[in-house]
Amino acid sequence: MGPRRAARSGGPGVPSLSRRSLLAAGAAVALAGCGRPAAGGSAPLRIGAIPDQDPEVLQRLFGTVSAAVAGALGREVAYTPVTDYAAAVSLFRTGDLDLVWFGGLTGVQARLQTPGARPVAQRDVDRAFTSVFVVNTATGLAPSGDLTALAPLRFTYGSPTSTSGRLMPAWFLREAGVDPEGFPGGPGFAGSHDATLALVASGTYEAGVLNAQVWRARTAEGAVDPAVVRHAETPPYADYHWLLHPAAAGRTGVPDLHDRLVAFLTGLRPGDPVLDLFGAGAFVAVQASDHDRIEQVGRELGLLR
Amino acid sequence: MTATLPRPVHRAAPRLRRDRRRWAWGLGAAALLVWSLAGAGSSGGGVVNPGGTAQLARFAAAAWDPALDAPYLGVLARSVLVTVAHAAAGTALALVVGAAGAVLVSRAAGGRRWAARGLLAVPRGLHEAVWGLLLVNVLGLDPWVAVLAIGLPAGAATAQVFAALVDEVPREAYRALLAAGAGRPAAALYGLLPPAAGGLLSYAAYRLECAVRSAVVLGMVGAGGLGYQLALSFASLRWAQVWTAVYALAALSLLAELGGRAARRRLAAPPPSPSERRDPVLTAAAAGTVVLVGWSAWYLALSPASLVSAGTAEQLAYLSAAAWPPATDGGLLRTVAGLAVDTVQVSVLAVAVALPGALLLAGPAARAERPTPARRVTGALVRGGLLLLRTVPAPVWALVALFVLRPGVLPGALALAAGTLGVLGRLAAEVTEELDPRPRAALAALGARPVGAWLYGVAPRAAGPVLAHALHRWEVAVRDTVLVGLLGAGGLGALLATELATFDWAAVTTVLAAVVVLTWAVDVVSDRARAALR
Repeated sequence: MGPRRAARSGGPGVPSLSRRSLLAAGAAVALAGCGRPAAGGSAPLRIGAIPDQDPEVLQRLFGTVSAAVAGALGREVAYTPVTDYAAAVSLFRTGDLDLVWFGGLTGVQARLQTPGARPVAQRDVDRAFTSVFVVNTATGLAPSGDLTALAPLRFTYGSPTSTSGRLMPAWFLREAGVDPEGFPGGPGFAGSHDATLALVASGTYEAGVLNAQVWRARTAEGAVDPAVVRHAETPPYADYHWLLHPAAAGRTGVPDLHDRLVAFLTGLRPGDPVLDLFGAGAFVAVQASDHDRIEQVGRELGLLR
Repeated sequence: MTATLPRPVHRAAPRLRRDRRRWAWGLGAAALLVWSLAGAGSSGGGVVNPGGTAQLARFAAAAWDPALDAPYLGVLARSVLVTVAHAAAGTALALVVGAAGAVLVSRAAGGRRWAARGLLAVPRGLHEAVWGLLLVNVLGLDPWVAVLAIGLPAGAATAQVFAALVDEVPREAYRALLAAGAGRPAAALYGLLPPAAGGLLSYAAYRLECAVRSAVVLGMVGAGGLGYQLALSFASLRWAQVWTAVYALAALSLLAELGGRAARRRLAAPPPSPSERRDPVLTAAAAGTVVLVGWSAWYLALSPASLVSAGTAEQLAYLSAAAWPPATDGGLLRTVAGLAVDTVQVSVLAVAVALPGALLLAGPAARAERPTPARRVTGALVRGGLLLLRTVPAPVWALVALFVLRPGVLPGALALAAGTLGVLGRLAAEVTEELDPRPRAALAALGARPVGAWLYGVAPRAAGPVLAHALHRWEVAVRDTVLVGLLGAGGLGALLATELATFDWAAVTTVLAAVVVLTWAVDVVSDRARAALR
């Protein structure tokens, strides 16, 4: 049923199947009885990603990733762009996505809802990811590691289930003795890291927190408004990773799918376009236990049930 | 962002006696507005944030400089096809659901109005985006998600409007057919349907335009198409690209609107034809519609099989088990009650801001009988502005409003007001166009200035229908608060987004029940108010 669904996404920026092969595939599926996850066989691998940073670049260049993975596995690869964290987790649960690039918290959510799902790999930077607290210059706060200074300010997070834009910053605020929900008027949710920057720049919120990678990229581009300054950075934590659906190996007909994906991803050499796309020096293997802390924090903050 | 109203029914002879109930309704509305304003101001510490003007200017400046690079335009072109297919298939479903539902609701068909209204309140009370997220959990990536999410709520709204239109038709022909021995279905088909056909068609065309906007909102939650592109560009605040997508969307809406308008005109005033043959233009339009819907079903690869597949049943069972029974702990219920108040205040403010704007712009936006070139340009500009107001999605307006306003009820209210003004302004202009032009012409002939002629010849007669439209929009605004909840605007939308993101399905059920009850209550109140206006 994969090819049919690839058509549905409109294939934005993705080398999509021709209409004729699509029809043929559709007919084949119809003849096969249209069961959802076809048991066995050689269905394409369906990759999804939550475009968290530079979603625009990510969606246009994901063709590169699809082609590389397809070459390594000898299977067709269909990329499905997803814009909503909750939708990506749900689509993984329903078996509509086989391999998804999840954030730390969303990956744990997906694993809890899909027993048997296994993490595949993460970037070198994800082993020690950080978030940056930013403040508007009008607050007059000098950069320091002191998070308690943020407590009386209007404060915004990014997306509600973002690991770097919500979960871990909230945790470190709590560790510092600041109620992560107790900001005046309640914390805001800007929705994306760039929106957080814009809302702190405008002074609507006096402080906010975002993904350190986005902060560095925007600073390097010179795209950060001078009214926004870095206040503090969190200690490192584990974040993004690839997660594989338990039924994927059977569906695609690649029994050692997990191992082959690990071998492919960790075998990428520096300078490979896939690594450049992900802003990584390398992919490294990852264990489910690497995200135990995220799970514990998520439960304590009421973001996991 | 759906609107629900056919053009208002004009009675031949307006009653001369004033209805006392109007005073009560007027005072009630004023009290509601003051209470909502108090809620907006109570957050303390001022509401305006002048520091955000630079961000606002960046958003506005990009409108003049949309992204036009070839790769992006290529991506958009493919997305347009998906959006068109979603809108066409969704509208087709809405009309089928609406026609079937109308039979249940219509008095002519022996329906019980209040019972059916309760039945329809559930699909109608939930926003398309909410339907989309729920359906993703059952159907996964199936194209039916977008089609059902557009078609179900729109279908429920259509049912009510279709029933109202059929009920307005004089009954003589219908009774005569019954008396002659025809069965009820046949009598309804031949006695009630033909006179109502114009109104039904007009509303169907209007539905298509709404569906284009709904398809975009759905794209923003992941259904692909223009909305998806817009969401991507919006997440990284690439305003130039956001504007290109908005313009593409505005062009689609305009096409749908113009097509509907042309078909309506043709139906209202068919050209004198030498024979009794069918009007070729209308025949072509009908055939084109059928082809468009067929193409959409093919392009999206819609298959009825996936609706009844084992996987779907399994996911439905999973979701039902997780979502039932609803969460009823005291803390959650108190939070829901408090946020319901915010939601009502946001919606009241949105309509209160949009209504005066719509009244002011109705004059310039209406197409004049014999326009001067200057009048023509002004009219086109105002209509274009209204089109953009309703095309830019509510979450984008919410962020833009948040640049220059402090977090609270007000930015959300203004974000919804922008879209409401876009729709209401257009409806008010249509009301003005359809009024009897003679009182105004008489005043002008007697030497009244244009403004005076408008105030005394147009405004009094347009006020009733425009208020009725505004009351309808109030209900829509309550549903739309779901879209702007997260961005500091609060209300039930923020709570719903949080519960959905943390997969607390029992709490989601509770919040959704609250939204449905709230929408239903607003619908009942606005229905009573409209009755007093007639």
